[in-house]
This record gives sequence, C-alpha cells and structure tokens, in this order.
Amino acid sequence: MYIIVVGGGRVGYYLAKALLDEGHEVLVLEKNAEVTEHICNQLGSVCLRGDGCEVTTLADAGTGRADMLIAVTGDDEDNLVACQVAKHKFNVPRTIARITNPQNEGIFKKLGIDVTVSSTDVILEHIEEEVPTHPLTRLLTLREKDLEIVEIKIPADSPAIGKQIKELLLPQRSTLALLIRKKQKPRLPRADTVLQAEDQIIAVTPPESKESLQTALRGSGTSLP
Amino acid sequence: MAFRKILVPVIGTKADEEAIRLGCQLASKNKAKICVVYVITIKRALPLNAEIEPEIRKAEDILDRMEGVAEEEGYEIETDLIQARDAGPAIVDEAVEREVDLILIGIAYKTRFGQFSLGNVVPYILKNASCRVILYHQPGK
Repeated sequence: MYIIVVGGGRVGYYLAKALLDEGHEVLVLEKNAEVTEHICNQLGSVCLRGDGCEVTTLADAGTGRADMLIAVTGDDEDNLVACQVAKHKFNVPRTIARITNPQNEGIFKKLGIDVTVSSTDVILEHIEEEVPTHPLTRLLTLREKDLEIVEIKIPADSPAIGKQIKELLLPQRSTLALLIRKKQKPRLPRADTVLQAEDQIIAVTPPESKESLQTALRGSGTSLP
Repeated sequence: MAFRKILVPVIGTKADEEAIRLGCQLASKNKAKICVVYVITIKRALPLNAEIEPEIRKAEDILDRMEGVAEEEGYEIETDLIQARDAGPAIVDEAVEREVDLILIGIAYKTRFGQFSLGNVVPYILKNASCRVILYHQPGK
C-alpha cells in the first residue's frame, strides 16, 4: 500500500516508521528542510520537502497512485486542506486527518474526510478508563454505524434503582447490552431486570443520546459512583 | 592498498569512461571485481518497479559502452541496472549489499548558478558510504 503522511513532526515520524516496518511504501511531506533531512537520515529517502496543502507538491509525491493520505500536522486547517485536495483532486480512496480541536470533527466529516483522529479525545478516553470520576465511560466508537459502546455505573442515589428496565425512559436507538453485578456472572439485561446500586451497564448508543441515557440510568445529577 | 570489489556508478559521461579505465588498472593488481551500476531514478508518481522503456534502453546502451571500455583495458566487468527514488542512497545501499571496498566515481566539472558544484549525489555518497570513495574529477575549462 502506498501511504502519504503529511507532516514530519513526532507523530508523522513515528507513524511513518511504524508503517515502513509493516512493509508499506511510505512518503512523508514536510515543509521544514532540517526536519526533512533528519527523516531521510533516519528512515532513508522517504521524505519530500514541500507543502502538503499544495497541488504541485502532492502531484510530485505521486498522490494520484496513493492508497491513503494521513495528515498529521499540528494544524487542523492544514490537515483539512491536505485531505480535501488529496480526496477531490487526486481521488485518494482513504484520507485520515489528525485534529486537535474535537469540535472540528463534525466539520471534517461534512467536508468528506474519511476518518478523523482527535488526540484530545484519545487522551480523554484513556483518562475516563483509568480514573473512575466520569459517570459514563466511552469504550469503543463504531464510526460507520455512528454508535458508541459505553459503560455506566449505577450510583446509590440513582432513581433507576429498584425499577425494571422496561420502566426506564431510555433514548431511541440506545440498547443496554450487558449487566455486570458484583459477585455474579455478567448477563444480558432483560425488560424485567431490576437494577441495583453499583450495577455496571454496558450500553450501545448514538453519541447524541449519551446524555439522555445517563439521565435515565443515573438521574439528572452526575455524582461520583 | 588492495581492493577486492570496486563499485563504479555511471551516468554515461566521458569522466565515467575514464573512471572505468582507472578502475581496471586498480583492479588488475589483485584481480578485483568491478561492478558498474546505472541508477534510473523513478518519480514518486510511478511505482518503483515501473518499466520506463526509453530510460532502460538508454541505461543498457551506457552499460554496454562501459563494458566496451573495460574490454579495451582487457578486463571483464559486471554491470547492473538499479531503479530507485534517489541515486545517492541507492548507490550507498548497493555498496553495502555487494560488500564492495571502494566506490569509484567519475565526475565532470559542473557549475550551478555560476559556482562549481558537485550536485547532490556525490556529497551524499561521501557522507554516507561505509567504504572508501575515490572521486575521479575531470578538470574544468
């Protein structure tokens, strides 16, 4: 697979290195002459000096035959332009952009970027997993289906305690997939399952319904578990 | 100093022919092997294994001519054609792969913007080669 990486910073360098190790043909586009030389010295002649947002540079890089373009500069706007030019001018089948501002994710999607990777979101996800201060933890994002798999813990003061699942006002398209109760085997929740304090629920939900799901299971407050 | 394997990268200039003659003289003492290579640089727009017929024909003509020069010196050489993105790294890699102990390069006098210039390939080889390098430089005008 021929992969073009726009941006030869730390992310771009290690990404290119990993992709080369996997046996892909890789080319890094980097504006800075010193960085370009450093990458060529370290990885071989896999770095081309130039602006990845410019059509001429992308043409020199052979973008027309690239299978994928990954824009990982520190600038969201540059990443967007590089991906858009690659997508619309050179018909690159897959474009991936790094974003630092998570709010840009929607705009990038609307403008046709196939995949966005938000470093801020990735760090936040890890914090959510490692530090149990968040009422809802995102475990996995199913981008193509626009769904997320989340984990919710039922606190002792939740209004859902003692209620059957069918009595709860769950948002549409949200499904409770697994119930984990202390000292018991994980099981599939049924409509007549009664929730208890400290229950852990694994649910599948669209991102926009996360808040409603959280309210239904934990109440309107977001007190710590 | 004795050399067992000599690599001579060529581009088809007069300086290359003279470098081949010099290589034959250096090699004859120890019956060293001479490998002559021509590097076809492939643009990124094409895959590395693209077959560019005119370039291949030109390279084969040059290598045939170099073989003729070596024959005139009474020596037999090995020739090879390499396709790479950049000539410098390709020559350095080839030297390592073939375990040569000398790279012999013939260079013609060149100027760039009115100043004497060695180009990009020769400085790269001088900087990165893991074996000895001899530059055979033709005098300027």
